[in-house]
Amino acid sequence: MKINQSLKVEPIIEEKVFSVSEFLDFLNEKLKPCWAIIQGEIGEKIWNYPRFTYFNLLDKDGSVLKCFVWREVIENLGIDLESGGMKIKVMGYPEFRKDKGEVNFQVQRIELVGEGILKKQYEILKKKLAALGYFALERKKPIPRFCENIGLITSKFGKGALKDFKTNLGKFGFRIFFYDVRVEGSFAIDEITQAINWFNQNMPKLDVLVLTRGGGDWESLQPFNSEDLVKAISASKIPIITGIGHEDDTTLADLAADLRVSTPTDAAKILNENWKLASIKVYEFGRNLNLAIKGNFKDIKEKIIFYGQDLVKRVKKEILLKAGRLDDLMRNLSLSFKGYFNDFQILERNFQQNFLTVKSLIKNQELKINQLSEDLNKDQSRWGTAAKKNLKQQEEKLIRSSPILKLKQGYTITKDSFGKIIKDPTKLKISQMIKTKFYKGQVSSKIKEIE
Amino acid sequence: MPDEKFNFTKAYQEIEEINEWFQGENIDLDEALEKYERGMELIEKCRERLKEAENKFEEIKKKYTAEE
Repeated sequence: MKINQSLKVEPIIEEKVFSVSEFLDFLNEKLKPCWAIIQGEIGEKIWNYPRFTYFNLLDKDGSVLKCFVWREVIENLGIDLESGGMKIKVMGYPEFRKDKGEVNFQVQRIELVGEGILKKQYEILKKKLAALGYFALERKKPIPRFCENIGLITSKFGKGALKDFKTNLGKFGFRIFFYDVRVEGSFAIDEITQAINWFNQNMPKLDVLVLTRGGGDWESLQPFNSEDLVKAISASKIPIITGIGHEDDTTLADLAADLRVSTPTDAAKILNENWKLASIKVYEFGRNLNLAIKGNFKDIKEKIIFYGQDLVKRVKKEILLKAGRLDDLMRNLSLSFKGYFNDFQILERNFQQNFLTVKSLIKNQELKINQLSEDLNKDQSRWGTAAKKNLKQQEEKLIRSSPILKLKQGYTITKDSFGKIIKDPTKLKISQMIKTKFYKGQVSSKIKEIE
Repeated sequence: MPDEKFNFTKAYQEIEEINEWFQGENIDLDEALEKYERGMELIEKCRERLKEAENKFEEIKKKYTAEE
């Protein structure tokens, strides 16, 4: 066995030797998870530095725990630490200080103990947070009218807050997503703020968050008076309803919430309210719509009948009016035509009379013409005979005076070369040609001598 | 997660608006019929939704929370 064991290949574990610093680091690593909540009284002296503070936490039996706290932890408390017996609870872990070789309690959170001091702290914080606007009405988000999806933040081990909420919630098909938290004690603040953040990150479409817990003494409600929780409520994108404690407990969380009710039961009731109203109203709306549409049809039917009657009346009236006008027109027309007919008859009569006159005139003229024609014929024959006789006489006269007859009797006619009858020979010239006409023929001769 | 197929709030609000519209004057018949039908359809849906009454309860599992 021994041989076998010696044959095993095992790493050689060397004895570890720490330096002091390394050992303190090692210890501090081990001590860090030793979270604790310790209650005690603040000692006679507080060492304040700009960024941190030291104080001793004492027990009545004289036990002392040296505490280190960063300035911001005290600021979150809202009120300064007082030396000489102030009761507090500190939450944190122990740590060795390497420069002094002593254990300090690293305080992560401080809570006040005792109703009097808590009220004082409450008032101071309330004033501070109000001044920062955390409770302002304009920051409040509206609660949806019909919340269907609810994030519920409370404890399943509490004094019936969960049961009260669930049993009072009406059966309206709510979907409740329950996040269990501690609602009392030093861990409560972190758990509640985590729950609010979780819903905002993972279920941002929820209609509302309900943060609730049952009644308790003022000290037990302290998580709801913390600055951290007020800030978490204020930062939530999902609206938050709080129902914390009793009627007269108004925590800072209540003031920061978008809607505050007194108790878990009230929180359930307020979520029921609009659903209850809607389930009644929805029937009422149905009835109203039916009545309204019927009313409208009736209204329109009446209007149609009314307009129909009115239309008949109006058309009738119009027709009568037109008929009257037409009658007038006819009357005027017939009167006008009557005048025309009368005039025409007179004209016709006149025309007939004139026609007869013209006819007799024409007849007379015809007779006259006939007479004239007859007379003319008679005259013509008479005048014709006389004219013929006269003409014979004239002809004879003419024949007697004709130059031809003179020529026949032996006379001649002499003309110059221009055909002009020569009556005075003195105007002639020697050698000028002249023509002499006889009864039968003519001769041309040259002048030899003028006498 | 919440389903969004039927939005009760929107439907209910529309019913209220239709109801109010019918209280008004000078109602056009065609529009009235259209609104009436829409209103009745929404009312029916809302009634159905109100019938689905049982609440659902679900606890969030906090595997990742530090102190548990």
